[in-house]
Amino acid sequence: MLQRFLDPATLAGLSGLDLVAKTVVDGFVSGLHRSPDFGFSQEFAEYRAYTPGDDLRHVDWNVYARTERCYLKRYRGETNTQLLILLDTSASMSYGSSTVNKLDYARYVAASLCYLSHEQRDAAGLIIFDADVVNYVAPSTRQGQLFRLLHAIEKAEPGTRTDFTKPFAHFQNFLKRRGLVVVLSDFYEQPETIVKTIEPLRFRGNDVVLFHVLDPQEIAPRLRGPALFVDVETRDSIEVSPEYVKEEYPRKIEAHIEALGTRARAAGMDYFLMNTGRPLDEGLREYLAVRQGRM
Amino acid sequence: MGFLAPWFLAGLAAVGLPVWLHLLKQHKTTPLPFSSLMFFERRTQSSVKHRRLRYLLLFTLRAALIALLAFAFARPFINSTIVASARGGKLRVLAVDNSFSMRQGNRLVQAKSDAQAALSTLRPEDRGLVLTFASQAHLLSEPSTDIAGMRAAIRSIQPSDDHSSYAELAHALRSLALSSKMPVEGHLFSDMQQTSMPLSFADAALGDNVTLVLHPAAQASLRNFAVESVTAPRRIYDVKKVHIQATILATGDAGGTRRVALVLNGHEVGSKPVDVPVNGRATAEFNGLDAPYGMNRGEVRIDSGDGFPADDHYYFSIERSDPLPVLFVRARESRDLLYYRTAIESSRDAAFKLESASPAQAAEMPLSRYAFVVLSDVGDIPATLDQALRSYVRAGGSLFVAIGPAAAARRKVPVSDAAIRDASRDIDQFQTAATLDSAHPATHQAGNWSDVKFFRYFSVEPGTLRVLARLSDRTPVLLEQQTGEGRVLVFASTLDSISNDFPLHSGFVPFVDETAHYLARLDDRPANLTVGAFLDLRSGREPSGAAIEVFDPTGARALTLSEATQARSMQLTEQGFYEIRRPNRHNELLAVNPDRRESDFTVIPQETLALWQNTGQGSRAQQAGAAETEQKPLDFWWYVMILVLILAVAESLVGNWHLAVDKEAA
Repeated sequence: MLQRFLDPATLAGLSGLDLVAKTVVDGFVSGLHRSPDFGFSQEFAEYRAYTPGDDLRHVDWNVYARTERCYLKRYRGETNTQLLILLDTSASMSYGSSTVNKLDYARYVAASLCYLSHEQRDAAGLIIFDADVVNYVAPSTRQGQLFRLLHAIEKAEPGTRTDFTKPFAHFQNFLKRRGLVVVLSDFYEQPETIVKTIEPLRFRGNDVVLFHVLDPQEIAPRLRGPALFVDVETRDSIEVSPEYVKEEYPRKIEAHIEALGTRARAAGMDYFLMNTGRPLDEGLREYLAVRQGRM
Repeated sequence: MGFLAPWFLAGLAAVGLPVWLHLLKQHKTTPLPFSSLMFFERRTQSSVKHRRLRYLLLFTLRAALIALLAFAFARPFINSTIVASARGGKLRVLAVDNSFSMRQGNRLVQAKSDAQAALSTLRPEDRGLVLTFASQAHLLSEPSTDIAGMRAAIRSIQPSDDHSSYAELAHALRSLALSSKMPVEGHLFSDMQQTSMPLSFADAALGDNVTLVLHPAAQASLRNFAVESVTAPRRIYDVKKVHIQATILATGDAGGTRRVALVLNGHEVGSKPVDVPVNGRATAEFNGLDAPYGMNRGEVRIDSGDGFPADDHYYFSIERSDPLPVLFVRARESRDLLYYRTAIESSRDAAFKLESASPAQAAEMPLSRYAFVVLSDVGDIPATLDQALRSYVRAGGSLFVAIGPAAAARRKVPVSDAAIRDASRDIDQFQTAATLDSAHPATHQAGNWSDVKFFRYFSVEPGTLRVLARLSDRTPVLLEQQTGEGRVLVFASTLDSISNDFPLHSGFVPFVDETAHYLARLDDRPANLTVGAFLDLRSGREPSGAAIEVFDPTGARALTLSEATQARSMQLTEQGFYEIRRPNRHNELLAVNPDRRESDFTVIPQETLALWQNTGQGSRAQQAGAAETEQKPLDFWWYVMILVLILAVAESLVGNWHLAVDKEAA
């Protein structure tokens, strides 16, 4: 039933990002996101034999009394991880064949993730970039952080061209501790360049997730007659025949998606293709299911 | 190929509109924004070429649409060679003679039977047409292949009383050949009377593309007696003065003594034998006829004993009435009354009775009862008489004015008001009549006036008056004026023997007789007419909207209600008596007889018939080659319009398709 309301076009009718995020997350996502580390929580995980050096506070004395053996009681840790969202606002993200363009869709995803993080008391931060860093909200769990994030996301406007090299060099400075880095972009760049640029984040112990946001018209364009296509970033134009769009272009974009996914996974990064024609929850559900599987 | 309205081809200039739209006004592709051209390659050549090809299709449709529209309005036609001759078809015209002579024996039955037989040989590619003819041709069917319809048309043919004319038949065949554009094969079913051929053989020429096949209904001439004509007065006033003369005709080697009877109102009133020479004529005369007052139906019959009794009688009508009163007004005693009375009483039929009166007495008399009024040198006319005369003439009465010294003193002609002056006062010698209008009914039988000496005469200003006679010094001596509905004759001298010696000459009596009949309007119409003649119903003097009833010999109304109030003439198609009832109660009885040329059954010689047939065959042989190549303009603009409609639909579909593509791409 909720699925019906998670259609991107329906979400676009909602008044604010907070409401969008709450609608998405409260529906099904809440509670799915867990820390992969053991920690201090009320949820029992396993027993482990005591080894010298272990903290005696974790010894289960009841078990020792019954068995005279020292076991450490381990709980499933719900650690406060840090979420950093990198939102691409280059001009190409403003493209959309329906009422919801790619940037809108990416904003919904970003807002949903921020809301999800806020619900789990995780620190969340945001970096908005195109050819440079446009806006930066440092990760924090302070009160009002969610609204700062949502406000920044809402204020994000399509910028200029995409250049991963320059802004990602800056990201290194912003990341003080390891955490989860989510990149929302259409990745109109060579896969090698993209992975090579983002890879350092992974080296610093971050979980990096690439959300490849594409419009259905970009994946499988339909054109009945020749048309003059104008690049929204470079303003270059090119006359395109329907035959090319029907036969050659899909092969190229498929190869691009395949290459980007393969290289990203090879570099230890998660890759998810977010088709803006699909309901928003489908993409997130897929992402969260994968994340859970890795726990 | 040609065009019936070639000026519409100027509309071809409108083809420039799609040329301007498609070629001069370059189509600009609306740029479509796309996120990245990273995966596109520049292949402009093929895509642009593709676009132009598609738009050229639309352009071609639009240009063809406009061009064909202009083409259709120009009414194109092609000269089709698909004429009947090329297909081998003919128009077979079955012409059945139903003239009066076809009443003899079973001639018409034979002709109709022959026509039915000729119809049975009609080929599928031929078309047939049935017509009857006498003095005129009547089409009984349209050119068609409907055998049953044509058989019914032949069965419906009835004999007529009209005279046959092969000139009319030839004219009809020529017209059909021209209108149908087909070779005409005429089949003539007739008794081949010599008298049916026109006087000029060229009038019967068949013309181009016409052949004639003869089907004689009679092979030989027929011995026949006929009453050719009857001369009888239309009106009689004195039964003792009636003289009726009948002419008996013998044809076809006929001759002998025959009994001729005079029948009045169905009763034989006299008869006498007449010896008619072989192929000659004889006359029978009947003097005196005790006819009752009013209209009488007369007939002359013979006991012919021949094979054609239909022409053994001849109708004539005769009306008996009292002599018409004529008022002679004079102011003084002179011999003018004596001369005039003697002359008018000596006339051919004693139709008039003269009454004399002084002007004062005449002023008290009702003028309308008189056939006409004579003013013989009346100078002092009482005002009441002058006014009565004017009213009388305007209403249709007639006036004869003789100008003498007394009348000239008034300086004006009574009623007419034409000026008068004494033209002979200063001359010492007489004048004679130099010119006479012999075409006028009042003077065409007046004889010779050249010996008449005019010692004193008066010059009347002609003005609007018609001059009927002039003296040698060009002075008008007899003039006529139409005043209202009436007539005024002015004689510029006196009727006594003082101013002229006209009353002493032999021409005086005919002059008085003719002028009297003219003024009394007695001889306006012929006594007898032949079948096919036209009867004048209206002269323009009848009140508008007044009906004139005509009853044919069977007693039926010959005119519809509309025709009775509007028709100016009608054709007399039957023999017998027509009764005409006019609104002024001047009823007439008109005798109508068949043309007596129909009584001569002499057959046209074979040489003449062959020559007649050759007038069509000879020209056809010359035209044979041309007939094959004769071309008929075939207008096919509606086919072009259908093509225009198809193109319009195609243009809409292609245009919508382009529009949908552009919209989707946008």
